[in-house]
Amino acid sequence: MLWGMKLIRGAISAILLAATFAAALRVRGTGGTPPQHGGWRPLELPER
Amino acid sequence: MVRIALVGAGVTGDRIAKRLDVLMPGCTVVVFDARGDLGEAAGCDVAILAHGGRQVGSTTKLVTAGVPVVSTADNVDDVRSLVELDDLAGRHDVQLVAGAGMSPGLTGLLARYLADQLERCDEIHIAVHGTAGPACARQHHRALAGHAMGLHDGEQISRPAGSGRELCWFPEPVGAYDCYRAELASPMLLGALFTDVGRISARMSANRRDRLTARLPMLSPPHREGGVGAVRVELRGADAAGRRVTLIAGVAELVATCAAATAVAFAAAIVRGDLPTGLTVAGDSSLDTVGLLHDIERLGVRLQEFTGIPHPAHPAPAAHAPTTANKDTT
Repeated sequence: MLWGMKLIRGAISAILLAATFAAALRVRGTGGTPPQHGGWRPLELPER
Repeated sequence: MVRIALVGAGVTGDRIAKRLDVLMPGCTVVVFDARGDLGEAAGCDVAILAHGGRQVGSTTKLVTAGVPVVSTADNVDDVRSLVELDDLAGRHDVQLVAGAGMSPGLTGLLARYLADQLERCDEIHIAVHGTAGPACARQHHRALAGHAMGLHDGEQISRPAGSGRELCWFPEPVGAYDCYRAELASPMLLGALFTDVGRISARMSANRRDRLTARLPMLSPPHREGGVGAVRVELRGADAAGRRVTLIAGVAELVATCAAATAVAFAAAIVRGDLPTGLTVAGDSSLDTVGLLHDIERLGVRLQEFTGIPHPAHPAPAAHAPTTANKDTT
């Protein structure tokens, strides 16, 4: 029983820690905005 | 009446036969077996070789008989032998197009088209994904076991095929694939055409099983036809103002369709009298590259360019852009 409680507490702590890191990165992160345009488009050949 | 000799009736040959009428309406197509006597092809306006195995034997017979030849060969030794038939073709006053498939072939045309937009071209990098019929799949298998040629800082290099992993982004729906150096003919042909270019490489997509079994016989028979293939040609250089520019063009289409369209476009150019006698290689500056690409589009191949991040003006849409298109993971 005691072992089970320890496991649950550990899991909750890990999730909270991960959520804290994720939130910090989300708010403070400076990774920039990924490209919203671009990619492949049909090639416009000049007239013959 | 235009008479076309088609040697080979595999996946690519079949597609060539269906597309000849688009550029040469009313032409007559005579199909030959490469193992048979090609003597009856004498008198044809042009012969298109689309059979597996070496094509140099068929080419020699046809050129000697005075028949212009368009070859879809992609084996390095075969293409090298075809290039050496330049004198023979010249003596017999016929045209010979070596490497008129997807790669070499379409890749050379795209490279020339992009190079014409640059003031100076420093690097050409080609990546290929997919196979056409079983003969093409076998060639793909062999290419991963040989020695990949390339040009690095102006010097010819040879590296083991299967090395040099690079994540290459092809047009959709193909997307990103890990590509590796392979024994492909494009660097050899492009190196002779783009003499000012310092770096040329060619890669093909492969998975772990392909690389692991490359030096073994094929463990399972190839599919009748591979799925959607793709090709990607990237040129790096400078524009007139000296700015670094990267241009990328590509195609996502069945490999046999690309190869057939390229071969048919060259055959039509021969019939029109647009090609000189002797050897012609896709990417030659004397060719009407834009005209050939227009013909290839008419044959159902959609050419695409990578635009990267937004750029305001054409004709340099991909300038500074495609850094996200290709991530070296070597």
